[in-house]
Formats: sequence, C-alpha cells, structure tokens
Amino acid sequence: MSSFQLALQQLTDSALPTGAFAHSLGFETYVDAGVVADEAGFGLWLSAFVAQSLTYSDGLAVRLLYEGVELGELDGLLSASLLPRQVREASVKMGGRLLEIGAEVFPSPALDLYRGLVAAGRAAGHQPLAFAVVARSLGVPLQEALAAYLFATVTSLTQNAVRAIPLGQNAGQRVLRAAHDDVAAAIDTIGRLTPDDLGAVSPGLEISQMRHERQRARMFMS
Amino acid sequence: MGELELRVAVRGQRSFAEHQYHRGALRVLRPHYLDDSGQVCYVVVNPGGAYLGADLVLLDIEVQESASLLLTTQSATKVYRTPGSFAEQRMAVRLGEGARLELMPDQLIAYREASYRQRTSVTLRPSSSLVMTEVVTPGWSPDGAAFRYEEVRLRNDIRVETDGGSQLLALDNLLIRPPLGDVGGLGFMDGYSHLGSLVVVDARVDQELADELHGLTAGFDALTGISLTRPAAGVAGLVLRSLSHSTDELNRLLRSCTDLLRGRWYGQGPLDLRKH
Repeated sequence: MSSFQLALQQLTDSALPTGAFAHSLGFETYVDAGVVADEAGFGLWLSAFVAQSLTYSDGLAVRLLYEGVELGELDGLLSASLLPRQVREASVKMGGRLLEIGAEVFPSPALDLYRGLVAAGRAAGHQPLAFAVVARSLGVPLQEALAAYLFATVTSLTQNAVRAIPLGQNAGQRVLRAAHDDVAAAIDTIGRLTPDDLGAVSPGLEISQMRHERQRARMFMS
Repeated sequence: MGELELRVAVRGQRSFAEHQYHRGALRVLRPHYLDDSGQVCYVVVNPGGAYLGADLVLLDIEVQESASLLLTTQSATKVYRTPGSFAEQRMAVRLGEGARLELMPDQLIAYREASYRQRTSVTLRPSSSLVMTEVVTPGWSPDGAAFRYEEVRLRNDIRVETDGGSQLLALDNLLIRPPLGDVGGLGFMDGYSHLGSLVVVDARVDQELADELHGLTAGFDALTGISLTRPAAGVAGLVLRSLSHSTDELNRLLRSCTDLLRGRWYGQGPLDLRKH
C-alpha cells in the first residue's frame, strides 16, 4: 500500500464535508431548460464538464501548482478566470472547507502558507489549489492527484444529479463508469496544455453557470 | 506585420490623438467626432483585407487622463488559411485616471484551415471606464460548413492598477479548436453558431446593472449569461456572453447594452457608426 493511499481516499470521499452536495456547477440550468433530463443527457453534460471546466481550469491549476508556479499567482489567475460568479464562489467556499479540514488532519508548511495568504486577504483559497497543496504535501504524484480530484468531483456531481433529475442509483453508477474514459482523456489533455490555456472554458458551460444566478426555482447554490 | 500606436489625450473637452504611428498592414482613418461629447472615434483599417499565416499585428493604445476613445474597425477581421502557422494580434491598452475606451471591433471570421490568436492586455485605473465587445462567427469555408477553421484563441486580461500595485481583475479566455470535437454541441456552443461577448469595467458596475442588462437581452434570439467579476481595488467588472445564430442579432444585443451605458453614464445617444 502506498503511503498516501488512505489519506487520498479520505480526501476524495464524497462524505468529506466541503459542501459539494450543494453545487451543480451549472448542470441545474440545463435540467431547468429540459436539455438534461435523463441518464444520457447528464452523461453528455458531464463529459463536456470534464473536458472543459475540469481540464482547462481545475486540472491545469493543479498541474501548474505541482510544477512550482507560485501559489498566490495561481490563486489570482483562478479568481480572475472563473467568470461565472457562482462557480467562483463555489470554488472558494469548498476550498475554504478543504483548507480547514486539511489543517486538522494533514497539516503541512505549504498548507500553512496557503492559509496564511487567505487569512491576509492575499488569496481567495480555491478548491483545486487547496487539494493540490495537500496532495503534494502527502507525496501523491501528479497523475494520481489529478485522477483523484477529477473523479471525486465527477462523483459528487453525479450524486447530485441522481437526486435532482432524478436518476436511478444504478444509472448513476453507469454514468460514473462511463466517466472513467473522460477522466483519463482529461488527464492526458491537462499534461499537454500551456499556461496560457488556463480558464479557457467553453461558452456554453459558462453561460449556463451565469444563467443559474437568475434561475427561479433551484436546489443548488451553483 | 503591422503596427499601430495611438495615444489619445484631451484638450478642453475634446479628445484627440496626441501621438499616432503605423507601419505595415495597419492604419487608421482620420478621426471622427460622432456627437458633441468630445469622444474621438478612430477606425482601424487593414488594407490587405485579411490576416495570413505568420502575420503578426501589434496595437498599442493609450487613453490618457480624462480622454475618451471609441475604437472600431472598418470591416470584419478575416483570417485566411494559415497552414502550419497562425496569425496573431496583440493589443496593449492603457487607460489613465478617468479615461474611457469603447473597443468595438467588427466580427471575426476565420476561414477554413485558419488559426488565429488574439491577445488583449488592458491596464486601467479604478476611475477608468472600459467597454469592449467581440463577435466570433463560425467562420467561412467553400462548402458552407461551419467551424472548419483550425483554432481561434481570444484572450483578454484586465488589470486594475493603483499606486499600491496592480491586480488581475478578469482573465477572459476563449479557445475554440473544431478539429478536437463537436464544438457546436451540448456544453460548448449548445447548438448555436455565433458567440458574442461584452466586458465592462467601471466603478459604476454593480449587481443591479448586471441584472438590468440581463433583462435587456431577453428580447433577443440568443442565449445569454451575465456575471460580475471578482472585485479589485474597489472596482468590479461584468462579463456578458451570448450565443446566437447570426452576427446581426448579436450586434443588436450587444449594442442595446452599450447604448444603455452610453446614455446613462455620458448622456450620449445610441451609437451609429454608419454616419461616416
């Protein structure tokens, strides 16, 4: 067993109290519009989300942190490039919880540094960066960290879709299994992006995330 | 290769180009004053008509304290085939205290097998005012099919500068690479063909304005989202993105938003560029 395996499982467990159950990150807009109404529709959305948001934003941010790009600079790039307000706030909200939990159970000097920047108002504290700081301090290699982060996000979104659309429990598991290939492809893509690609999320996803702010009846905060 | 430098200052109420330089594939038409606000309008012209592979165009725009510039183009930006290469436009914009820029180019048309990169870097003060619009078409190909170009990459970064330093307010990054997948589909262009965007940075931007502009867009045949950027140095920005089926519809939608701002903030009438 690798030294970090159990730590990584704890960090990516959907029971980790970061509040992920409260965020659809835009899929609720498609549900409201009737575009996503079943297993197939949600699967399409999830593939797009993995290939766009999780690749060009979260995933690339994790990689750049591992490659030594300065934490404060990366945090500022995420705050500036997450243009839909609810998605930006979701990242900071879940990031803040992850920073707290990390300090309780996986403390490290790098995590203290990030918490210090946030406390001083010099960083917002984004979820992918908080995760990357903890994973890196635990010695998790980049590929494993990316796979764990991406699949944890996919899992919580799928659980939310099972409740919201709703989908059957088995349908949820089929969606998750199908997402394995998307996550593998995303990790491959993330490795080939350039720093200039950060935040290049597709217009359709961004518009749905922005429109969620004005949606009348909603279950989710984003 | 083309280069354009423009430095706009104000004398009395009237803005004018204090410095102007061009070389190669870019020039500007003589300045226009479209109303009595003192705002100067410059029209950028690409006499070659289009960008080709390895073309590099550099624009350096400065609007000094209290001056006001409307910068537009004479016609659509066309990018022809750029085999094994790409055409690139880099624009640096600096806005002084109380300076105002409306940047409203015509639509972008990337032809079959074209790659195009556009990078716009804006540095402004908390008292500056920036309005920029953009329309990206599905391009042009001989068989009429959409999205036959290789790559379109548009990147805007906007920094707010104070005496204490500068902070990145917004990084607006768009990357469309049709060969990689179905860009028309769900989660990308969502079945639409044209993309419009509007960025406004001004101390008067707030949630109420964003909601009002969103209300305005409801009257158009387009799918639109608007959100506030992070705040920086007491300033916020708003970003609007809109998907539709035509350049005209997006132009009308974007113009209704920018005309509202022109009227409310400066007492100007709706923009009518056909006057000249």
